[in-house]
Amino acid sequence: MTRVGIPQGLFYFYHYPLWKTFFSDLGAEVITSGPTSRQTIDVGIDHAVDECCLPIKVYFGHVYQMMQQQPDYILVPRLISTEHRSYICPKFMGIPDMIRATMPDCPPLIDITIDCSRETRQLWRDIYQLGTLFKASRKSTKAAYEHGLQEMRSLRVLVRQGYTPGEAMQLWENNGEGQTLDNNSDICVGVLGHGYSLYDPAISLNLIQRLRDLGCKVVLLESCSRDLVEQEAARLPKKVFWTLGRKMLGSALVMDQSEDIDGIVYLACFGCGPDSMVGDIVSRKVNHKPFMLVTIDEHSGEGGLLTRLEAFCDMLRRKQVRELESNIPAYGFYAHSH
Amino acid sequence: MQYFLGVDIGSVSSNFVLIDQQQQVVSKVYLRTNGNPVNAIREGFQSLRRQMPEDAGIAAVGATGSGRHLADIILGADVVKNEITTHAVAACHYDPACQTVIEIGGQDSKIIILRDGIVYDFAMNTVCAAGTGSFLDQQAARLGIAIENLGEQSLASSRPVRIAGRCGVFAESDMIHKQQMGYPMSDILMGLCEAMVRNYLNNVGKGKKILAPVVFQGGVAANRGIRKAFEKSLGLPVAVPENHDVMGAIGAAILAGEAVSASQPTRFRGDGFILEGDFKTRSLDCQGCPNLCEVACIMRDRKILSYWGDRCRKWETSLKPAAQAVVV
Repeated sequence: MTRVGIPQGLFYFYHYPLWKTFFSDLGAEVITSGPTSRQTIDVGIDHAVDECCLPIKVYFGHVYQMMQQQPDYILVPRLISTEHRSYICPKFMGIPDMIRATMPDCPPLIDITIDCSRETRQLWRDIYQLGTLFKASRKSTKAAYEHGLQEMRSLRVLVRQGYTPGEAMQLWENNGEGQTLDNNSDICVGVLGHGYSLYDPAISLNLIQRLRDLGCKVVLLESCSRDLVEQEAARLPKKVFWTLGRKMLGSALVMDQSEDIDGIVYLACFGCGPDSMVGDIVSRKVNHKPFMLVTIDEHSGEGGLLTRLEAFCDMLRRKQVRELESNIPAYGFYAHSH
Repeated sequence: MQYFLGVDIGSVSSNFVLIDQQQQVVSKVYLRTNGNPVNAIREGFQSLRRQMPEDAGIAAVGATGSGRHLADIILGADVVKNEITTHAVAACHYDPACQTVIEIGGQDSKIIILRDGIVYDFAMNTVCAAGTGSFLDQQAARLGIAIENLGEQSLASSRPVRIAGRCGVFAESDMIHKQQMGYPMSDILMGLCEAMVRNYLNNVGKGKKILAPVVFQGGVAANRGIRKAFEKSLGLPVAVPENHDVMGAIGAAILAGEAVSASQPTRFRGDGFILEGDFKTRSLDCQGCPNLCEVACIMRDRKILSYWGDRCRKWETSLKPAAQAVVV
């Protein structure tokens, strides 16, 4: 049986169900590199160019760990665009080449180009081409890919219920068995960030779980209504052409107006180009709620992060008490003071 | 008489204060952590004990600072709080009308925006420690000036030179250039103060609305040059509380006083536990998974009090029932 390895980094948190289903339906065995560990990060830092962001370095670590399992192929898609006239960070485009250059012993890469910025015909041609690797007919290749898309959508339904993509993935793989959400929280925090850093507990220093441990309900950008997000993002004078950046901006504005959300935390990666723009725009546009931008890099000392999160939660709680006591929304009053 | 103890174990200094029921400071200890927080906690506690009247009792303990969890293990704290909250509480106690708190410590600097006595917004320095106390320390040592006199010397300046403040390395090389060109020391020092303030306002204070009253606290507030540079740059008076160097500890003590009540007795471990016995820290590399966490533990004599630093909390939770039994 042909073994296809899928590194557990970058768009894994968005696209894994698609590829897992696709390759399984074509008769391949799918293996992954496992969750990010300290070792993954260390190996990644050794192999990647030093000026890229941490999630990309970690991805290199995953590919390296994938190699150790000696699969027949490793899936490293060349991601350019996943929707019309919007793009993924340009660093993603060169990843298959960078990996071949730094890890010459790597098994053959499946570096299918994903570019839906103008049309999808080329993508379909590439998918059919990929099917021939597994001696599949056009018809069964198409069926497998469509099945994959359907599975990816079912995962999104779970995420919309409040699970993180990681938790949803576990539920999806174990047919609904996994942790359940408990709602023992008095404050609600909206959390934004690129999925590949936010949903990887090793990269985000477990930000989401830490907020939950501090008694917060966490609302992710994936659970905001897509139409509303697009509508809010379109209020900017110029369209944000990074897919993830636009979604974060739109969700921030949706959260800013949502009555249920008490505050917003934005996780940015040091060295991320889009974040340096989008993070700043978001902090200027969020005017009704407390907002905190957290920048992470290769730290393993978690104290700094914890101090900031604790202080943020303290602030939200004291504000809540104050509003209850005085019946005056403490916020609207100063809404435009910063 | 019953008092509340507040401790702030920071990267550079460890501070201890004792406040009475009226929240007035009775005694305080400010000492250098010198990279050994365990020692600092015991030494600080001991010298505070010496200052205290014989019959004085400790009714509650509050811990803050980056070493707050360590302080909690050794002293037994009723409140373990982050530095932002404790500094805000202390600033409000000093001036209930306070709207802006500037705090510059050894390794971090923060701004806290208060409105109606509650934290409305805050920020801390992000990736760089330029413009904090340890940088000033380093420059004072390089120039052979005692850190206490650095502020006084800079006040003599009439025409401060411009120093690049964005980065500590740039600032140092700029200072050296200026000094080799023969500018007077006081002008260079005042230039350094202004550069630090510029850096602070551009990075930490970015986008924040700074309104009076402004309270300036933390170890660096002792530097009168920095205070003057803040006043010049903000165009506002900047108040420095008498106990500016121990404000975090005061805030922790106030919060601890609020936390204990008749129904909630203190967790303070008592003099015997803290002053007798031998505290040691140790670290080990957990081999349980590829994360290879660096687990640290603290022991008193041969008894392990606490583990921390493991991601999966296997070590951290392994002691819980036993450790609590020891506390009682």
